[in-house]
Amino acid sequence: MEPLTTEMILVMMMIGVAIFLFIVEWVRVDVVAILMMVVLPLLHLVTPKEAFIGLSSNAVVSIIAVIIIGAGLDRTGIINNLVTPVMKIAGKSASRVIIAISLTVAGISSFMQNIGAAALFLPAIQRISKMQNIPLSRLLMPIGFSAILGGTITLVGCSPLILLNDLLAPFNLAPFGLFDVTPIGLALVASGIACFILFGRWILPQGEDAGSDEKQSGSYDSQEVSDVGHLFELTTPEDFTHYRDPVLVRDLLERYLCNVVAITEPPDFKVISPDPEMEVHSGIDLVVYGKEEDVRRMAEEEGMILKDRLEIYKNEVDTSVSGRVEAVVAPRSYLIGKTLRELNFQDRFRVTPLAIYRQEETYRSEIHDIPLRVGDVISLFGTWKRLKSLQDAGGLLFNIPTETEYMRPEKAIWAGIWLVVSLTMIMGFKIQLSVALMTGALGMILSNVLTIDEAYQAVDWRTIFLLGGLIPLGIATEKTGTAAWIAHSVLNLIGNVSPIMLLSVIGILSTLFTLVISNVGATVLLVPLVVNMAMAANADPRMAALVVGLATSNSFMLPTHQVNALYMGPGRYRTVDFMKAGALVSVVFLVVMIVMIKLLYGV
Amino acid sequence: MAIITISRGSYYMGKAVAEKVAEKLGYPLVSRDVLLEASERFRVPEIKLVRAIHDAPGILDRLSHSKQSYIAYIRAALAERAAAEGKLVYHGLAGHLLLTGLEQVLKVRVTADMQRRVAQEMERSNIGAQKAREILLKDDLQRRRWTKALYGVDPSDSSLYDLVVRIDKITVDQAVDFICEVAGNACFQATEKCRQKARDFALACRVKAALVEEWPNIRVACHYGNVIVYPKEREAKAGKLRKRLDQVCSALEGIHNVEIHRASQPPEDAV
Repeated sequence: MEPLTTEMILVMMMIGVAIFLFIVEWVRVDVVAILMMVVLPLLHLVTPKEAFIGLSSNAVVSIIAVIIIGAGLDRTGIINNLVTPVMKIAGKSASRVIIAISLTVAGISSFMQNIGAAALFLPAIQRISKMQNIPLSRLLMPIGFSAILGGTITLVGCSPLILLNDLLAPFNLAPFGLFDVTPIGLALVASGIACFILFGRWILPQGEDAGSDEKQSGSYDSQEVSDVGHLFELTTPEDFTHYRDPVLVRDLLERYLCNVVAITEPPDFKVISPDPEMEVHSGIDLVVYGKEEDVRRMAEEEGMILKDRLEIYKNEVDTSVSGRVEAVVAPRSYLIGKTLRELNFQDRFRVTPLAIYRQEETYRSEIHDIPLRVGDVISLFGTWKRLKSLQDAGGLLFNIPTETEYMRPEKAIWAGIWLVVSLTMIMGFKIQLSVALMTGALGMILSNVLTIDEAYQAVDWRTIFLLGGLIPLGIATEKTGTAAWIAHSVLNLIGNVSPIMLLSVIGILSTLFTLVISNVGATVLLVPLVVNMAMAANADPRMAALVVGLATSNSFMLPTHQVNALYMGPGRYRTVDFMKAGALVSVVFLVVMIVMIKLLYGV
Repeated sequence: MAIITISRGSYYMGKAVAEKVAEKLGYPLVSRDVLLEASERFRVPEIKLVRAIHDAPGILDRLSHSKQSYIAYIRAALAERAAAEGKLVYHGLAGHLLLTGLEQVLKVRVTADMQRRVAQEMERSNIGAQKAREILLKDDLQRRRWTKALYGVDPSDSSLYDLVVRIDKITVDQAVDFICEVAGNACFQATEKCRQKARDFALACRVKAALVEEWPNIRVACHYGNVIVYPKEREAKAGKLRKRLDQVCSALEGIHNVEIHRASQPPEDAV
């Protein structure tokens, strides 16, 4: 065995520092990663080129491209349409939502890069969190872990398993088939999900409500308790207009204080912030802003069907297209002393006034006849575009969130085409992931699915630097021989043990390695070693290699895995959150893996 | 189904007409009993209510606003009867004014020849013609003052009524037939909208009756159970009104939302 060199000691110290800083969080994790990028070349543990090679690595570029593709899909409403059937099955229960999406993501992840599946689903999960009012932190980690675990379902699910047969070839060992690992992978996915369903309450952070991002920007309060209520979607039955006086939009406001903010004009023309005189027809959908008890009373008395969630109009009333703002009547405003009716306000600006706040009173009834005063606050609902033109007209002071995005449902076909092109390039033509995905991202920009600025804004730079900074740490660990030294030391230390014990130790070792260095690096390093060890210990060398291939996916305890790094920011996780949940899942992973290998291969 | 108000003066035969109309149509007859109801509900001696509805407000009344309160009580009692029964015949002073805002109300004024009235008064009070005439003229003047003071209109103005019948050549029975025939007209039939309006009107009257003593100039409107009160700016200080309002409305059924609109123009149908 090689002697322990100063460089190895320095690398181990740097790993220690990185883990220490991840845990204490004196600086943010991405800053720790940048620190590694800078300190490692200064200590001559990597070359300056190697220090920054992570930023141009296949994985990081793929992630940038996938995030852009995901943003494009979200912007065109495709993600919403994808989410709907899953949500129908899952309903409002957090557990069922976790199971449904985790299984979907794991299934996709078994055939494509984990990080790709995770990144594609991120916008969908964010939307579900908002729609169902489930904290994002309760959803992301289980789903992220499932994406990683899903990689173990087939031999092409993750890089270590793809490499495995190549690494076995020099030893003249029989290669594994595509689905040889499937039973183990399925058991791992099931046990991972079960961990969160059974123990989620204790191991997951009980985050804030969904939509907290929006609250911070002050733009929209779809879920917070509001004295003007919430959005509800309803349908009118086919016989709605039979044997009765026509029901107008303003009737619903007068009778039930429900503001119609979107309604279908037959046959299927969607009107946002409709005219008060518009008639409510049979067999159409409408969205109202109102208090739940008022909306339920309206549905009952008018014979409408109240839906569980926004369906037809979920894109039109999404926070990215429209929302509620509170506008203050400015001093010397032309509005002072006039009523909204006198100003012909609704017809002019095509936004829906929901309420007027004056001192401590909230007015919802007859608000069109209240003479406005300086300082009155008007709550308005409308598309950001129309609210912007109202803002430009002056007289009212309010902030429209600057990050307002416009939905482009008409571009859905283009977004879909470019996704298919990317996937075909990856699966059909075996073109490198980063190139294929960047082609899709570029295609979306060129076909105006999203602008280049929106694409830049979509990329989460925390994730990019976290991944980019950890790659040189992995390089240093391998290059200086630290990884090999640790592996040799551990295997020498345990001496002669039973095959099961040997596989368990290999599993633990692979898990620890994969936490710090890349899973591919860990596999390349460990497979030759463990094959030799197994042969010496009279154990099955193929099984030892398989354990390495699988256990290098057992990367849950630190946010170093690409998927964990990706979900850390949006889920607002801290390193301790990963340690808490990851420790349990990692132990369960090892146990299930060894038990399954024992059952299947009789080791 | 209609609500018929029959306005009359002394010896106008209005009472006889009202009784016969109620009998013929099978409607409940309401008159002084609303005063009794109001007296019981709002704990005000009946005599004060009688005076309130008969005598024009004096200077003291104008200062204390007591008359407004009593009339609000009577109005609340009558509106509740109208909403609950859906059909009735009311005779007495100012029925047409107390029930303003309800569409299905047939407003009838019954008048009579002066000589006939004088004769009846002479017979009843055993007095001379001159004296009887004086009494009747004084009574008419009092009523005129009352409506002028409270509603700013003259009760003899025929434009306030749908029908004015003079009992002279037309007999009481003919008048009754005539009124019943008009009451059967489609425009006096209560639709669901009318019934809703009657319920809203009754609620507004109840809320006003509860507030009028402390806030005599307050106006109250109610649409589909959504109540809006319109206080005079200086009256609506602090949270006192809000507190009282919440108290009142929580005790009443059918109210969905309550708001206080300061400095807004009350709608025409506000009570």
